[in-house]
Amino acid sequence: MLAHFWLAFVAFAGAIVLGEWQMYVRSPLHAWLDNPEHYYRSVTVHGVVMAYVLPTLVAMGLGYALSELALKRPLVGLRWAWAGFWLVLVGTAMAAAAMASGHASVLYTFYPPMIASPFFYLGIVLVVVGSWIWVALMSINLRAWRKENPGAAVPLAMFGNVAGAYLWAWTSIGAAIEILVLILPVALGFKDTIDAGLARVFFSWTLHAIVYFWLMPTYIAFYTLVPRAIGGRLYSDTMGRVAFVLFLVFSMPIGIHHLFADPQIGAGFKFVHAAMTAMVSVPTLLTVFTIVASVEIAGRMRGGKGAFGWIRALPWENPMMLAVAFSFVMLGFGGAGGLINMSYQLNESVHNTQWVTGHFHLIFGGAIVIMYFMIAYELWPQLTACAPLPAGPIRAQLWLWFAGMMVLTMPWHYVGILGMPRRMAYFDFTAPALQAQAWTVTASAVGGAMLVVSALIFVYVLATARRGAGSPEPFTFSLSAHPVGRVPALLNGYALWVSMMIALTIVNYGFPIAQLAALKETSVPAIPMGLR
Amino acid sequence: MSAARWSIVALVVLTVVSFAVGFAWLPSEHGDFTAKGLWDTICRAAGVPQKWSAGAPAAATRSTRVVLDASMQRPQAQDAIGRGATLALNCTMCHGPRGLSQANAPNLAGQYPEVIIKQLMDYRGGDRASSIMQALAANLSDANIRDLAAYYTYLPRPRNAPVTDMSIVPALVRVGDPMHNVAPCAACHGGIERKPGAPWLEGMPKEYLVEQLAAFAAGKRHNDSHGQMRNMARNLTPQQIEEVALFYARHGEGEEGR
Repeated sequence: MLAHFWLAFVAFAGAIVLGEWQMYVRSPLHAWLDNPEHYYRSVTVHGVVMAYVLPTLVAMGLGYALSELALKRPLVGLRWAWAGFWLVLVGTAMAAAAMASGHASVLYTFYPPMIASPFFYLGIVLVVVGSWIWVALMSINLRAWRKENPGAAVPLAMFGNVAGAYLWAWTSIGAAIEILVLILPVALGFKDTIDAGLARVFFSWTLHAIVYFWLMPTYIAFYTLVPRAIGGRLYSDTMGRVAFVLFLVFSMPIGIHHLFADPQIGAGFKFVHAAMTAMVSVPTLLTVFTIVASVEIAGRMRGGKGAFGWIRALPWENPMMLAVAFSFVMLGFGGAGGLINMSYQLNESVHNTQWVTGHFHLIFGGAIVIMYFMIAYELWPQLTACAPLPAGPIRAQLWLWFAGMMVLTMPWHYVGILGMPRRMAYFDFTAPALQAQAWTVTASAVGGAMLVVSALIFVYVLATARRGAGSPEPFTFSLSAHPVGRVPALLNGYALWVSMMIALTIVNYGFPIAQLAALKETSVPAIPMGLR
Repeated sequence: MSAARWSIVALVVLTVVSFAVGFAWLPSEHGDFTAKGLWDTICRAAGVPQKWSAGAPAAATRSTRVVLDASMQRPQAQDAIGRGATLALNCTMCHGPRGLSQANAPNLAGQYPEVIIKQLMDYRGGDRASSIMQALAANLSDANIRDLAAYYTYLPRPRNAPVTDMSIVPALVRVGDPMHNVAPCAACHGGIERKPGAPWLEGMPKEYLVEQLAAFAAGKRHNDSHGQMRNMARNLTPQQIEEVALFYARHGEGEEGR
C-alpha cells in the first residue's frame, strides 16, 4: 500500500510542476514558446499522471487498506496485488518514455486521428490491466468475508470501495476497446485510417465515469472518516449506500455529454445523455445533505446551539474539518459549473474554453484531491507506524491548496465565459481584443505556484514522518447515528445495480456505436505524432 | 411491489421519458427543412446520415485527385532509384543535375517522395497549372512518377546554416500569427512537426516561394486538398511573405550546386 501511495505522490509532485510551467509560459510573464509541441508534451504528461496514475494508485492503495481495516482480515492475494502494482509501474514508465521523447503528444484523452507511439498506448493498457487485478481482488476479498459472515451487513467503507471497483471495471472497457481495436492497429502500422468519431464515442464511455472512479475514495472518506475524525456521527449509513449504487447506475451511460459539439452523434442521444447526467447530481446532493447533517451532529455534540451556532462549535483546528469544508466549497462551485456544462444548450457558450479546465480542476484537483491528502494523512500512522503527523504544516498545506485552487480556477471560469479557448500554447496579448484578459493568465500562474508549494509541503510532511516512532491506535471508521442493523439485501449487494448499469449502457450507447461501426465513410487518415 | 422492482420500473420510466422527449418531442418542435413525419424525425435525432444535399450542385472546382497514403512515403528499392535517375535527365535543365535548381525552379534533392508524387500527379491531371510541367508530366506513368520520386528522395538534401540564434527565425515560422489564424510554418514543414504531403522548404529559391504563396493567396494554385495553404497564404501580408521566403532560401554551408 505504501508503495502505491509513494508512486502516486511522487508522480503527482512532478506533474504539478509541469502544470505550473504550462501556466507560466503562456502568461504574459514569459515570451512565446518557440516550440509549442513542448507545451502539448507537457500537457500530455500532466494529464496522464493526474488522470490515470495518481487516482488509480490512490484508489488501489486505499482499496487494499480498506479491505484489511474494514473487513478486519488480511488481504487475500497479496502476491497478485504486487503483480498489479508492478504492471502499473512498468506501464507508467513506458508511457512516460514515449511522452518524454515527443512521440506521444496526443493529450491523455488520445484524440484520434492523432496517433502516438505504440509504447504510449501499451503503457496505458498495462496501467489499466494492473488496476483490473485490483478490481478482481476487491471482489474476491469481499466474497471471502461474506462466506465467513453470512448475512451480515458489508461495512460501508468496503461497500463503497467495491462499488468503485465495479464502476471502474465496466467504464474502463470503453477506452480499452478504443485502444485495442481502433488505435493500436494504426499505431503499429497495420492501417492508415481510423474512425475518429467512433473512437471518441468509446472514449466518452470511459471519460465521464472515470471522474466518479476518482471521486469514490473522496466519498468514502466523507462517509466513513470525516464524522469520526471530527467527533460526530454519520447521519445515515443507508444514504451512503444509496449514493454509491446510484453512482454505479448513472455515472457511466452519460458520457456523450462530452461530445455535444461532435457531429457524428444524433441530437436525440445527446439529449438523453444530458438528462441522465442530471441524475448524477442526485447522489452528490444526497451526500452533501448527509455529510452536512453529520457535521451538524458533531457541532451539537460539542455544545453548539441554535440554527447556526453549531458551525462555530465545530473543531476548526482539526485538519479534517478544514479539508471537508474546503472540499464542499469547491464541490459547490465546481458542481454548479458542471450543471452548466451538461446542459445541452448552455454548453455551447463554454464548450472547449478555459471554463472547462477551470471546472475539472476545481472538482478533481480541488474537492477530490484535497480529500486524497486527508486519506494519506489518516492512513500514514497505520502504514508506517509513525508518530502523529504535525497538524500545523497540514493546516497550512490545506489552506494553501484551497486558496491556490481558487486563484487558479476562478480566472479560468471568467475568461472561459469570454471565450478564451483552452489548450493554447500561447496567446497574442498584444492584440487589443486579448490584452484585457492577460491578467487572468498571470493570476492563474500565481494560483498554480501556490498549489506547487502546497504539494511540496504535503510530500515533505509524509516523507519526514518518522517510521516506527509511534504506536497508532487501531483504525476505526465513523459510527452511524442510528446503529446499523439489518441492511436491505438490495443495498448489501451489487447484482441489480450492475445489471442496470450494463442495460442502460446498451440502451444509451448501443445505437451510436453500431451505426458508426457500420458506416464505411467515417474513417479519416491517421496523423502520427513526432514525425519531424 | 418490492424495492428491486420499484427501482427497475423507475429506471425504465426515466429512460422511456427521456427518449420520448429527445427523439420525438424536441426534434418535432425544431423541425428543419428535411422533416417529413415522425419516423424521419426519430432517425434525424438518432444521427442517421441524411442525403439532403443530393440535389445540390457539385463543388465548382476540384482541388486534387490524389489521396496520400502510407505506401507513397516508404523508401524504394535501388532499381527504382536507377530508373528514376534516367527519367530525371529530362528535368535537369531547370531542376539542376543533382536536383538543386539555379533557375528559380524548386529544389528536388532530398524532397519527400509523397510530395513529388502528388505534385506530378496534379500536373498530369491538370490540378496544378504550369505550361512546362503539365506538358512534361502528361506522358509519365504512375510507375515513372514513383521512380522519379525515389530518385530525388535519394539525393542529398540542401541544408540551411543551422539556426543557433532563435531570434533570426521569423515569428511566422516559429509561432505563426494566431490572431490571423495562421499556423506556424514549422508545424507542418518540419522543425516542430512534419505532416505528410508538406514539402521540405530549406534552401528553396526565394522567388519560387514568393510566387507560390502569392498564387495560393489569389487562388490561382489550388491543389492543396483542403485549402490549407490557401487559407494560410490569404492572411499573410506581402512583408510576411518576403520574410519567410528569405528565411527558407538563405544559403547554407557546404551546399552543393550553387
